[in-house]
Amino acid sequence: MSIQQLLNGVSLGSVYALIAVGFALVFNILKFSNFAHGGVMTLTAYIGLAASLFFSRWLSGLPLFGATLVSAALAGAIVGIVLERMAFRRIRNNNSPVIYYFISSITMGILMENIVTIFASSTFYSYPKFFELSVVELFHVNIALTDLLMLVFSSTALMILLWVLYRTKIGLAIRALSFDVNTANLMGMDSNRVVMATFIAAGILGGVAGVFLGINYTLYPQLGQLIVKGFIASVIGGLGSITGAMIGAVLLGVLEVTLISAVGAGIAPVFVFIIMLTFLLVRPRGIAGVIVQEKA
Amino acid sequence: MLVVENLHVSYGHIQALSGVSITVPQGSIVSIIGSNGAGKTTLLNTISGLVKQHQGGIKFKGQELGWVPHSIVQQGIVQVPEGRKIFAGLTVEENLLAGGYILRDPKHLRSNVNKMMELYPILGSRKHQQAGTLSGGEQQMLAVCRGLMSEPELILLDEPSLGLAPIIVKSIFDLIGQIRQQGITVLLVEQNAKKALALSDYAYVLENGHVTMEGKGRDLLCDPAVKRAYLGEKE
Ligand SMILES: Nc1ncnc2c1ncn2[C@@H]1O[C@H](COP(=O)(O)OP(=O)(O)OP(=O)(O)O)[C@@H](O)[C@H]1O
Ligand SMILES: [Mg+2]
Repeated sequence: MSIQQLLNGVSLGSVYALIAVGFALVFNILKFSNFAHGGVMTLTAYIGLAASLFFSRWLSGLPLFGATLVSAALAGAIVGIVLERMAFRRIRNNNSPVIYYFISSITMGILMENIVTIFASSTFYSYPKFFELSVVELFHVNIALTDLLMLVFSSTALMILLWVLYRTKIGLAIRALSFDVNTANLMGMDSNRVVMATFIAAGILGGVAGVFLGINYTLYPQLGQLIVKGFIASVIGGLGSITGAMIGAVLLGVLEVTLISAVGAGIAPVFVFIIMLTFLLVRPRGIAGVIVQEKA
Repeated sequence: MLVVENLHVSYGHIQALSGVSITVPQGSIVSIIGSNGAGKTTLLNTISGLVKQHQGGIKFKGQELGWVPHSIVQQGIVQVPEGRKIFAGLTVEENLLAGGYILRDPKHLRSNVNKMMELYPILGSRKHQQAGTLSGGEQQMLAVCRGLMSEPELILLDEPSLGLAPIIVKSIFDLIGQIRQQGITVLLVEQNAKKALALSDYAYVLENGHVTMEGKGRDLLCDPAVKRAYLGEKE
Protein backbone atom coordinates (compact mmCIF):
# COMPACT_ATOMS: atom_id res chain seq x y z
CA MET A 1 0.00 0.00 0.00
CA SER A 2 1.37 3.38 -0.98
CA ILE A 3 1.57 6.30 1.43
CA GLN A 4 -0.88 8.06 -0.80
CA GLN A 5 -3.47 5.33 -0.39
CA LEU A 6 -2.90 5.32 3.32
CA LEU A 7 -3.56 9.04 3.47
CA ASN A 8 -6.69 8.66 1.36
CA GLY A 9 -7.89 5.95 3.67
CA VAL A 10 -7.16 7.90 6.81
CA SER A 11 -8.94 11.00 5.58
CA LEU A 12 -11.96 8.96 4.48
CA GLY A 13 -11.80 7.28 7.88
CA SER A 14 -11.80 10.65 9.62
CA VAL A 15 -15.18 11.44 8.07
CA TYR A 16 -16.45 8.01 9.06
CA ALA A 17 -15.22 8.83 12.54
CA LEU A 18 -17.43 11.93 12.62
CA ILE A 19 -20.41 9.76 11.71
CA ALA A 20 -19.52 7.00 14.14
CA VAL A 21 -18.90 9.34 17.05
CA GLY A 22 -22.11 11.29 16.46
CA PHE A 23 -23.91 7.97 16.49
CA ALA A 24 -22.04 6.67 19.56
CA LEU A 25 -22.68 9.78 21.65
CA VAL A 26 -26.43 9.26 21.50
CA PHE A 27 -26.08 5.49 21.78
CA ASN A 28 -24.15 5.88 25.04
CA ILE A 29 -26.58 8.14 26.74
CA LEU A 30 -29.93 6.75 25.58
CA LYS A 31 -28.84 3.17 24.76
CA PHE A 32 -30.34 2.93 21.31
CA SER A 33 -29.01 3.19 17.75
CA ASN A 34 -30.06 6.60 16.53
CA PHE A 35 -30.75 6.11 12.83
CA ALA A 36 -32.23 9.61 12.65
CA HIS A 37 -28.58 10.67 12.56
CA GLY A 38 -28.56 9.75 8.86
CA GLY A 39 -31.40 12.20 8.28
CA VAL A 40 -29.46 14.88 10.14
CA MET A 41 -26.54 14.36 7.76
CA THR A 42 -28.73 14.54 4.66
CA LEU A 43 -30.47 17.68 5.83
CA THR A 44 -27.29 19.46 6.86
CA ALA A 45 -25.53 18.46 3.65
CA TYR A 46 -28.23 20.32 1.69
CA ILE A 47 -28.25 23.23 4.14
CA GLY A 48 -24.48 23.42 3.73
CA LEU A 49 -24.95 23.51 -0.03
CA ALA A 50 -27.46 26.35 0.27
CA ALA A 51 -25.05 28.20 2.54
CA SER A 52 -22.16 27.74 0.12
CA LEU A 53 -24.25 29.14 -2.74
CA PHE A 54 -25.38 32.02 -0.56
CA PHE A 55 -21.94 32.95 0.75
CA SER A 56 -20.27 32.51 -2.65
CA ARG A 57 -21.46 36.02 -3.49
CA TRP A 58 -18.94 37.43 -1.05
CA LEU A 59 -16.48 34.71 -0.27
CA SER A 60 -14.35 32.16 -2.05
CA GLY A 61 -11.69 29.57 -1.28
CA LEU A 62 -10.99 28.71 2.32
CA PRO A 63 -13.28 31.38 3.85
CA LEU A 64 -16.19 30.09 1.77
CA PHE A 65 -15.39 26.55 2.77
CA GLY A 66 -15.21 27.59 6.43
CA ALA A 67 -18.51 29.48 6.23
CA THR A 68 -20.15 26.42 4.67
CA LEU A 69 -18.89 24.13 7.40
CA VAL A 70 -19.92 26.48 10.18
CA SER A 71 -23.40 26.93 8.69
CA ALA A 72 -23.89 23.18 8.37
CA ALA A 73 -22.60 22.62 11.90
CA LEU A 74 -24.98 25.25 13.29
CA ALA A 75 -27.83 23.75 11.34
CA GLY A 76 -26.86 20.37 12.75
CA ALA A 77 -26.99 21.76 16.28
CA ILE A 78 -30.45 23.19 15.67
CA VAL A 79 -31.71 19.99 14.07
CA GLY A 80 -30.31 18.14 17.09
CA ILE A 81 -32.28 20.35 19.46
CA VAL A 82 -35.50 19.95 17.49
CA LEU A 83 -34.98 16.20 17.24
CA GLU A 84 -34.46 15.82 20.96
CA ARG A 85 -37.48 17.93 21.86
CA MET A 86 -39.82 16.44 19.27
CA ALA A 87 -38.81 12.83 19.04
CA PHE A 88 -37.21 11.76 22.28
CA ARG A 89 -37.93 13.96 25.30
CA ARG A 90 -41.42 12.70 25.94
CA ILE A 91 -40.60 9.05 25.64
CA ARG A 92 -37.56 9.59 27.81
CA ASN A 93 -39.49 11.27 30.58
CA ASN A 94 -42.07 8.49 30.45
CA ASN A 95 -39.36 5.83 30.82
CA SER A 96 -40.59 4.18 27.64
CA PRO A 97 -39.10 0.92 26.33
CA VAL A 98 -36.24 1.03 23.83
CA ILE A 99 -38.49 0.08 20.93
CA TYR A 100 -40.16 3.50 21.14
CA TYR A 101 -36.80 5.15 20.61
CA PHE A 102 -36.14 2.97 17.59
CA ILE A 103 -39.45 3.76 15.99
CA SER A 104 -39.12 7.43 16.76
CA SER A 105 -35.59 7.66 15.38
CA ILE A 106 -36.34 5.75 12.20
CA THR A 107 -39.46 7.85 11.63
CA MET A 108 -37.54 11.08 12.07
CA GLY A 109 -34.81 9.82 9.74
CA ILE A 110 -37.34 9.05 7.01
CA LEU A 111 -39.10 12.36 7.62
CA MET A 112 -35.92 14.36 7.13
CA GLU A 113 -35.01 12.36 4.03
CA ASN A 114 -38.45 13.02 2.58
CA ILE A 115 -38.36 16.72 3.34
CA VAL A 116 -35.18 16.87 1.30
CA THR A 117 -36.73 14.75 -1.46
CA ILE A 118 -39.68 17.13 -1.77
CA PHE A 119 -37.47 20.16 -2.19
CA ALA A 120 -34.48 18.79 -4.00
CA SER A 121 -35.02 15.44 -5.66
CA SER A 122 -35.73 16.66 -9.18
CA THR A 123 -32.47 18.49 -9.63
CA PHE A 124 -28.94 17.22 -9.48
CA TYR A 125 -26.89 19.20 -7.00
CA SER A 126 -23.26 19.24 -6.11
CA TYR A 127 -21.08 21.47 -4.03
CA PRO A 128 -19.26 24.30 -5.80
CA LYS A 129 -15.59 23.84 -6.42
CA PHE A 130 -14.09 25.63 -3.45
CA PHE A 131 -10.49 25.73 -4.64
CA GLU A 132 -8.61 26.25 -7.90
CA LEU A 133 -6.02 23.80 -6.80
CA SER A 134 -7.13 20.21 -6.50
CA VAL A 135 -3.93 18.46 -5.51
CA VAL A 136 -1.29 19.56 -3.08
CA GLU A 137 2.15 18.14 -2.51
CA LEU A 138 2.96 17.38 1.07
CA PHE A 139 6.21 15.69 2.09
CA HIS A 140 6.70 14.59 -1.52
CA VAL A 141 3.30 12.92 -1.61
CA ASN A 142 0.47 14.17 -3.75
CA ILE A 143 -2.75 14.41 -1.84
CA ALA A 144 -6.13 15.63 -3.00
CA LEU A 145 -6.91 18.95 -1.36
CA THR A 146 -10.38 17.84 -0.29
CA ASP A 147 -8.85 14.80 1.39
CA LEU A 148 -6.45 17.01 3.27
CA LEU A 149 -9.23 19.37 4.36
CA MET A 150 -11.41 16.46 5.43
CA LEU A 151 -8.60 15.12 7.54
CA VAL A 152 -7.75 18.47 9.12
CA PHE A 153 -11.29 19.62 9.85
CA SER A 154 -12.61 16.26 11.00
CA SER A 155 -9.72 15.71 13.37
CA THR A 156 -10.14 19.23 14.70
CA ALA A 157 -13.85 18.68 15.32
CA LEU A 158 -13.13 15.39 17.09
CA MET A 159 -10.36 16.95 19.20
CA ILE A 160 -12.74 19.68 20.31
CA LEU A 161 -15.33 17.06 21.18
CA LEU A 162 -12.82 15.08 23.26
CA TRP A 163 -11.81 18.26 25.01
CA VAL A 164 -15.43 19.00 25.87
CA LEU A 165 -16.05 15.43 27.05
CA TYR A 166 -12.95 15.15 29.20
CA ARG A 167 -12.23 18.69 30.33
CA THR A 168 -15.54 20.42 30.91
CA LYS A 169 -18.35 20.03 33.40
CA ILE A 170 -21.00 19.35 30.81
CA GLY A 171 -18.69 16.70 29.31
CA LEU A 172 -18.37 15.04 32.69
CA ALA A 173 -22.15 15.14 33.02
CA ILE A 174 -22.54 13.52 29.60
CA ARG A 175 -20.21 10.73 30.61
CA ALA A 176 -21.79 10.31 34.04
CA LEU A 177 -25.27 10.15 32.54
CA SER A 178 -24.03 7.53 30.06
CA PHE A 179 -23.23 5.29 32.99
CA ASP A 180 -26.26 5.81 35.16
CA VAL A 181 -29.06 8.32 34.69
CA ASN A 182 -30.58 8.07 38.15
CA THR A 183 -27.33 8.44 39.99
CA ALA A 184 -26.37 11.36 37.77
CA ASN A 185 -29.67 12.99 38.74
CA LEU A 186 -28.78 12.43 42.39
CA MET A 187 -25.62 14.48 41.77
CA GLY A 188 -27.77 17.41 40.66
CA MET A 189 -27.36 16.83 36.94
CA ASP A 190 -30.34 17.85 34.86
CA SER A 191 -31.03 15.02 32.37
CA ASN A 192 -32.92 17.26 29.99
CA ARG A 193 -30.03 19.68 29.71
CA VAL A 194 -27.37 17.00 29.43
CA VAL A 195 -29.25 14.99 26.81
CA MET A 196 -29.88 18.20 24.89
CA ALA A 197 -26.16 18.98 24.97
CA THR A 198 -25.45 15.49 23.65
CA PHE A 199 -27.81 15.95 20.73
CA ILE A 200 -26.25 19.33 19.97
CA ALA A 201 -22.79 17.77 19.91
CA ALA A 202 -23.98 14.88 17.73
CA GLY A 203 -25.78 17.35 15.44
CA ILE A 204 -22.66 19.46 14.97
CA LEU A 205 -20.62 16.38 14.06
CA GLY A 206 -23.44 15.29 11.74
CA GLY A 207 -23.38 18.69 10.06
CA VAL A 208 -19.65 18.60 9.41
CA ALA A 209 -19.93 15.01 8.18
CA GLY A 210 -22.85 15.97 5.94
CA VAL A 211 -20.77 18.59 4.11
CA PHE A 212 -17.87 16.20 3.57
CA LEU A 213 -20.14 13.42 2.35
CA GLY A 214 -21.80 15.92 -0.01
CA ILE A 215 -18.43 16.96 -1.39
CA ASN A 216 -17.24 13.39 -1.73
CA TYR A 217 -20.29 11.77 -3.25
CA THR A 218 -22.45 14.58 -4.70
CA LEU A 219 -25.82 15.22 -3.11
CA TYR A 220 -28.81 12.91 -3.11
CA PRO A 221 -31.60 12.54 -0.54
CA GLN A 222 -30.42 9.10 0.56
CA LEU A 223 -26.97 10.41 1.41
CA GLY A 224 -27.74 9.83 5.08
CA GLN A 225 -27.72 6.09 4.52
CA LEU A 226 -23.96 6.37 4.74
CA ILE A 227 -24.68 6.25 8.48
CA VAL A 228 -24.04 2.54 7.87
CA LYS A 229 -20.35 3.38 7.63
CA GLY A 230 -20.49 4.88 11.08
CA PHE A 231 -22.32 1.82 12.33
CA ILE A 232 -19.73 -0.56 10.86
CA ALA A 233 -16.94 1.53 12.34
CA SER A 234 -18.64 1.40 15.74
CA VAL A 235 -18.94 -2.38 15.57
CA ILE A 236 -15.29 -2.77 14.61
CA GLY A 237 -14.19 -0.30 17.27
CA GLY A 238 -16.59 -1.43 19.99
CA LEU A 239 -20.16 -0.15 20.24
CA GLY A 240 -20.49 2.56 22.82
CA SER A 241 -16.85 3.59 23.01
CA ILE A 242 -16.03 7.02 21.57
CA THR A 243 -12.34 6.27 21.20
CA GLY A 244 -13.16 2.85 19.81
CA ALA A 245 -15.43 4.42 17.20
CA MET A 246 -12.59 6.68 16.07
CA ILE A 247 -10.13 3.81 15.76
CA GLY A 248 -12.71 1.64 14.00
CA ALA A 249 -13.51 4.43 11.56
CA VAL A 250 -9.91 5.04 10.53
CA LEU A 251 -9.38 1.30 10.09
CA LEU A 252 -12.52 1.11 7.98
CA GLY A 253 -11.39 4.01 5.77
CA VAL A 254 -7.99 2.45 5.13
CA LEU A 255 -9.55 -0.94 4.60
CA GLU A 256 -12.01 0.39 2.04
CA VAL A 257 -9.39 2.27 0.04
CA THR A 258 -7.15 -0.79 0.03
CA LEU A 259 -9.94 -3.16 -0.95
CA ILE A 260 -11.13 -0.88 -3.73
CA SER A 261 -7.70 -0.86 -5.30
CA ALA A 262 -7.28 -4.59 -4.74
CA VAL A 263 -10.65 -6.04 -5.76
CA GLY A 264 -12.51 -3.10 -7.26
CA ALA A 265 -15.25 -0.83 -6.00
CA GLY A 266 -17.99 -3.34 -6.86
CA ILE A 267 -16.91 -6.13 -4.57
CA ALA A 268 -15.20 -4.13 -1.83
CA PRO A 269 -18.42 -3.58 0.20
CA VAL A 270 -18.96 -7.34 0.33
CA PHE A 271 -15.62 -7.80 2.03
CA VAL A 272 -16.33 -4.94 4.40
CA PHE A 273 -19.59 -6.55 5.48
CA ILE A 274 -17.90 -9.92 5.91
CA ILE A 275 -15.34 -8.29 8.16
CA MET A 276 -18.05 -6.60 10.18
CA LEU A 277 -19.99 -9.84 10.58
CA THR A 278 -16.80 -11.58 11.64
CA PHE A 279 -16.32 -8.97 14.31
CA LEU A 280 -19.90 -9.37 15.53
CA LEU A 281 -19.42 -13.13 15.75
CA VAL A 282 -15.90 -13.40 17.05
CA ARG A 283 -15.37 -10.21 18.95
CA PRO A 284 -18.62 -8.37 19.64
CA ARG A 285 -16.85 -6.05 22.04
CA GLY A 286 -14.86 -4.70 19.12
CA ILE A 287 -11.24 -3.67 19.24
CA ALA A 288 -11.82 -1.23 22.06
CA GLY A 289 -12.50 -4.17 24.34
CA VAL A 290 -8.74 -4.32 24.83
CA ILE A 291 -7.26 -1.04 23.71
CA VAL A 292 -9.61 1.33 25.45
CA GLN A 293 -11.58 0.24 28.43
CA GLU A 294 -13.46 3.35 29.27
CA LYS A 295 -16.88 4.02 27.94
CA ALA A 296 -17.62 7.63 27.28
CA MET B 1 -36.06 20.17 58.83
CA LEU B 2 -37.60 17.45 56.68
CA VAL B 3 -41.22 16.50 57.22
CA VAL B 4 -42.80 13.65 55.29
CA GLU B 5 -46.53 13.46 55.79
CA ASN B 6 -48.86 10.62 54.99
CA LEU B 7 -46.86 9.48 51.99
CA HIS B 8 -48.40 6.94 49.62
CA VAL B 9 -46.38 5.46 46.78
CA SER B 10 -47.30 2.69 44.43
CA TYR B 11 -45.60 1.10 41.45
CA GLY B 12 -48.54 0.16 39.28
CA HIS B 13 -50.48 -2.26 41.47
CA ILE B 14 -47.75 -2.71 44.05
CA GLN B 15 -48.34 -0.44 47.01
CA ALA B 16 -44.84 0.29 48.33
CA LEU B 17 -45.62 2.95 50.94
CA SER B 18 -48.99 3.45 52.59
CA GLY B 19 -49.28 6.54 54.74
CA VAL B 20 -45.74 6.99 55.96
CA SER B 21 -44.99 10.04 58.10
CA ILE B 22 -41.54 10.87 59.41
CA THR B 23 -39.81 13.94 60.77
CA VAL B 24 -36.11 14.64 60.60
CA PRO B 25 -35.07 17.51 62.89
CA GLN B 26 -32.09 19.66 61.97
CA GLY B 27 -28.74 18.39 63.18
CA SER B 28 -29.97 14.92 64.08
CA ILE B 29 -29.38 11.41 62.86
CA VAL B 30 -32.66 9.67 62.11
CA SER B 31 -32.64 6.09 60.99
CA ILE B 32 -35.10 3.83 59.30
CA ILE B 33 -34.86 0.12 59.78
CA GLY B 34 -36.91 -2.60 58.19
CA SER B 35 -36.60 -5.85 56.34
CA ASN B 36 -36.12 -6.37 52.61
CA GLY B 37 -38.87 -4.90 50.53
CA ALA B 38 -40.26 -2.79 53.37
CA GLY B 39 -40.10 0.34 51.22
CA LYS B 40 -37.00 2.05 52.63
CA THR B 41 -35.36 2.75 49.28
CA THR B 42 -38.70 3.83 47.88
CA LEU B 43 -38.99 6.41 50.65
CA LEU B 44 -35.56 7.86 49.95
CA ASN B 45 -36.10 7.83 46.18
CA THR B 46 -39.39 9.64 46.60
CA ILE B 47 -37.71 12.32 48.72
CA SER B 48 -34.98 12.64 46.06
CA GLY B 49 -37.52 12.97 43.28
CA LEU B 50 -36.61 9.77 41.44
CA VAL B 51 -40.00 8.23 42.21
CA LYS B 52 -42.62 10.67 41.09
CA GLN B 53 -46.00 8.96 41.38
CA HIS B 54 -46.77 9.76 45.00
CA GLN B 55 -49.46 11.27 47.19
CA GLY B 56 -48.78 13.13 50.39
CA GLY B 57 -46.54 15.97 51.41
CA ILE B 58 -42.79 16.33 51.61
CA LYS B 59 -41.65 19.59 53.16
CA PHE B 60 -38.07 20.73 53.55
CA LYS B 61 -37.41 23.74 55.77
CA GLY B 62 -41.10 24.54 55.59
CA GLN B 63 -41.30 24.51 51.79
CA GLU B 64 -42.76 21.94 49.43
CA LEU B 65 -39.79 20.06 48.04
CA GLY B 66 -41.02 19.48 44.50
CA TRP B 67 -40.22 16.48 42.36
CA VAL B 68 -37.34 17.50 40.09
CA PRO B 69 -34.25 15.56 41.20
CA HIS B 70 -31.62 18.14 40.31
CA SER B 71 -33.51 20.96 41.96
CA ILE B 72 -33.86 18.88 45.13
CA VAL B 73 -30.07 18.53 45.17
CA GLN B 74 -29.77 22.28 44.77
CA GLN B 75 -32.05 22.76 47.75
CA GLY B 76 -29.53 20.82 49.81
CA ILE B 77 -30.68 17.20 49.91
CA VAL B 78 -28.28 14.60 48.56
CA GLN B 79 -28.78 10.85 48.48
CA VAL B 80 -26.04 8.24 48.57
CA PRO B 81 -27.88 5.41 46.84
CA GLU B 82 -28.09 1.78 47.80
CA GLY B 83 -25.35 -0.34 46.26
CA ARG B 84 -22.95 2.62 46.00
CA LYS B 85 -23.68 3.32 42.35
CA ILE B 86 -20.32 4.91 41.73
CA PHE B 87 -19.59 5.72 38.09
CA ALA B 88 -17.42 2.67 37.47
CA GLY B 89 -15.77 3.85 34.26
CA LEU B 90 -14.96 7.33 35.51
CA THR B 91 -11.87 7.91 37.58
CA VAL B 92 -12.05 8.37 41.33
CA GLU B 93 -11.39 12.07 40.91
CA GLU B 94 -14.08 12.41 38.23
CA ASN B 95 -16.56 10.73 40.56
CA LEU B 96 -15.84 13.37 43.18
CA LEU B 97 -16.11 16.13 40.60
CA ALA B 98 -19.46 14.72 39.49
CA GLY B 99 -20.61 14.88 43.11
CA GLY B 100 -19.80 18.58 43.15
CA TYR B 101 -21.57 19.23 39.88
CA ILE B 102 -23.84 21.93 41.31
CA LEU B 103 -20.95 24.01 42.66
CA ARG B 104 -20.42 26.96 40.35
CA ASP B 105 -16.98 28.08 41.44
CA PRO B 106 -14.17 25.84 40.09
CA LYS B 107 -11.88 26.78 43.02
CA HIS B 108 -14.53 25.78 45.51
CA LEU B 109 -14.99 22.49 43.66
CA ARG B 110 -11.26 21.85 43.64
CA SER B 111 -10.86 22.61 47.34
CA ASN B 112 -13.72 20.21 48.19
CA VAL B 113 -12.04 17.49 46.14
CA ASN B 114 -8.85 18.09 48.07
CA LYS B 115 -10.73 17.93 51.38
CA MET B 116 -12.16 14.52 50.51
CA MET B 117 -8.74 13.28 49.50
CA GLU B 118 -7.36 14.44 52.85
CA LEU B 119 -10.21 12.74 54.67
CA TYR B 120 -9.51 9.49 52.79
CA PRO B 121 -5.96 9.53 51.46
CA ILE B 122 -6.70 6.37 49.47
CA LEU B 123 -8.98 8.44 47.24
CA GLY B 124 -6.06 10.76 46.59
CA SER B 125 -3.56 8.05 45.79
CA ARG B 126 -6.05 6.35 43.45
CA LYS B 127 -7.48 9.47 41.88
CA HIS B 128 -6.64 8.54 38.30
CA GLN B 129 -7.77 4.95 38.72
CA GLN B 130 -11.16 3.86 37.40
CA ALA B 131 -13.56 3.84 40.31
CA GLY B 132 -14.85 0.38 39.34
CA THR B 133 -11.47 -1.10 40.28
CA LEU B 134 -11.73 0.02 43.92
CA SER B 135 -12.68 -2.53 46.57
CA GLY B 136 -16.24 -2.56 47.89
CA GLY B 137 -15.34 -0.67 51.04
CA GLU B 138 -13.35 1.93 49.13
CA GLN B 139 -16.24 2.34 46.72
CA GLN B 140 -18.61 2.97 49.61
CA MET B 141 -16.28 5.61 51.05
CA LEU B 142 -16.07 7.19 47.61
CA ALA B 143 -19.87 7.14 47.30
CA VAL B 144 -20.32 8.92 50.64
CA CYS B 145 -17.56 11.44 49.86
CA ARG B 146 -19.11 12.05 46.45
CA GLY B 147 -22.39 12.80 48.23
CA LEU B 148 -20.64 15.24 50.56
CA MET B 149 -18.97 17.12 47.68
CA SER B 150 -21.89 19.48 47.13
CA GLU B 151 -22.09 20.32 50.85
CA PRO B 152 -25.65 19.14 51.48
CA GLU B 153 -27.68 20.18 54.50
CA LEU B 154 -29.37 16.80 54.63
CA ILE B 155 -27.78 13.58 53.46
CA LEU B 156 -29.80 10.44 52.79
CA LEU B 157 -27.76 7.26 53.20
CA ASP B 158 -29.23 4.03 51.83
CA GLU B 159 -27.68 0.98 53.49
CA PRO B 160 -24.11 2.27 53.55
CA SER B 161 -22.83 -0.80 55.41
CA LEU B 162 -24.29 -3.33 52.98
CA GLY B 163 -21.90 -6.17 52.21
CA LEU B 164 -18.92 -4.74 54.04
CA ALA B 165 -16.54 -6.36 56.53
CA PRO B 166 -17.11 -5.43 60.20
CA ILE B 167 -14.04 -3.23 60.43
CA ILE B 168 -15.15 -1.18 57.44
CA VAL B 169 -18.69 -1.04 58.76
CA LYS B 170 -17.23 0.54 61.87
CA SER B 171 -15.40 3.19 59.89
CA ILE B 172 -18.56 3.94 57.91
CA PHE B 173 -20.49 4.51 61.13
CA ASP B 174 -17.63 6.64 62.46
CA LEU B 175 -17.89 8.70 59.30
CA ILE B 176 -21.63 9.15 59.79
CA GLY B 177 -20.94 10.49 63.28
CA GLN B 178 -18.38 12.91 61.83
CA ILE B 179 -20.86 14.05 59.21
CA ARG B 180 -23.32 15.00 61.91
CA GLN B 181 -20.60 16.87 63.81
CA GLN B 182 -20.07 18.98 60.70
CA GLY B 183 -23.67 20.09 61.08
CA ILE B 184 -25.13 17.92 58.33
CA THR B 185 -28.43 16.25 59.14
CA VAL B 186 -28.53 12.52 58.39
CA LEU B 187 -31.39 10.26 57.36
CA LEU B 188 -29.99 6.74 57.50
CA VAL B 189 -31.54 3.58 56.12
CA GLU B 190 -29.97 0.43 57.53
CA GLN B 191 -30.36 -3.30 57.89
CA ASN B 192 -27.62 -3.24 60.49
CA ALA B 193 -30.17 -2.23 63.11
CA LYS B 194 -27.95 -2.52 66.15
CA LYS B 195 -25.32 -0.07 64.97
CA ALA B 196 -27.87 2.25 63.38
CA LEU B 197 -30.06 2.48 66.46
CA ALA B 198 -27.10 3.05 68.76
CA LEU B 199 -26.02 6.02 66.69
CA SER B 200 -29.46 7.52 66.01
CA ASP B 201 -31.32 10.21 67.87
CA TYR B 202 -34.61 8.89 66.60
CA ALA B 203 -35.66 5.90 64.54
CA TYR B 204 -38.56 4.43 62.64
CA VAL B 205 -39.33 0.82 61.90
CA LEU B 206 -40.83 0.32 58.48
CA GLU B 207 -42.75 -2.85 57.61
CA ASN B 208 -44.63 -3.47 54.37
CA GLY B 209 -44.93 0.23 53.69
CA HIS B 210 -46.16 1.17 57.16
CA VAL B 211 -44.33 2.73 60.07
CA THR B 212 -44.96 0.16 62.80
CA MET B 213 -42.80 1.61 65.52
CA GLU B 214 -40.89 4.74 66.28
CA GLY B 215 -38.93 6.17 69.16
CA LYS B 216 -35.54 7.25 70.42
CA GLY B 217 -32.77 5.09 69.03
CA ARG B 218 -31.74 3.77 72.44
CA ASP B 219 -35.33 2.98 73.43
CA LEU B 220 -35.92 0.93 70.31
CA LEU B 221 -32.66 -0.89 70.91
CA CYS B 222 -34.15 -2.19 74.17
CA ASP B 223 -37.59 -2.89 72.80
CA PRO B 224 -38.36 -6.62 72.91
CA ALA B 225 -40.21 -6.68 69.58
CA VAL B 226 -37.34 -4.91 67.83
CA LYS B 227 -34.86 -7.22 69.48
CA ARG B 228 -36.71 -10.23 68.21
CA ALA B 229 -37.25 -9.04 64.67
CA TYR B 230 -34.17 -7.00 63.86
CA LEU B 231 -31.42 -7.76 66.32
CA GLY B 232 -31.69 -11.52 66.15
CA GLU B 233 -31.83 -11.85 69.91
CA LYS B 234 -33.92 -14.27 71.90
CA GLU B 235 -35.67 -13.14 75.00
N1 LIG C 1 -39.28 0.18 40.19
C1 LIG C 1 -40.13 -0.64 40.83
N2 LIG C 1 -41.17 -1.18 40.16
C2 LIG C 1 -42.04 -2.01 40.80
N3 LIG C 1 -41.94 -2.34 42.09
C3 LIG C 1 -40.94 -1.83 42.80
C4 LIG C 1 -39.97 -0.96 42.21
N4 LIG C 1 -39.08 -0.61 43.17
C5 LIG C 1 -39.48 -1.23 44.29
N5 LIG C 1 -40.58 -1.97 44.09
C6 LIG C 1 -41.30 -2.76 45.09
O1 LIG C 1 -41.62 -1.92 46.18
C7 LIG C 1 -41.40 -2.58 47.42
C8 LIG C 1 -40.44 -1.79 48.29
O2 LIG C 1 -39.15 -1.81 47.68
P1 LIG C 1 -37.91 -1.03 48.26
O3 LIG C 1 -36.81 -1.13 47.30
O4 LIG C 1 -38.32 0.33 48.64
O5 LIG C 1 -37.57 -1.88 49.56
P2 LIG C 1 -36.38 -1.75 50.59
O6 LIG C 1 -36.98 -1.55 51.91
O7 LIG C 1 -35.41 -0.72 50.14
O8 LIG C 1 -35.74 -3.18 50.52
P3 LIG C 1 -34.18 -3.62 50.63
O9 LIG C 1 -33.84 -3.64 52.07
O10 LIG C 1 -34.16 -4.99 50.04
O11 LIG C 1 -33.37 -2.65 49.84
C9 LIG C 1 -40.92 -3.96 47.07
O12 LIG C 1 -42.02 -4.84 47.14
C10 LIG C 1 -40.44 -3.85 45.67
O13 LIG C 1 -40.62 -5.05 44.97
MG1 LIG D 1 -33.47 -0.73 49.62
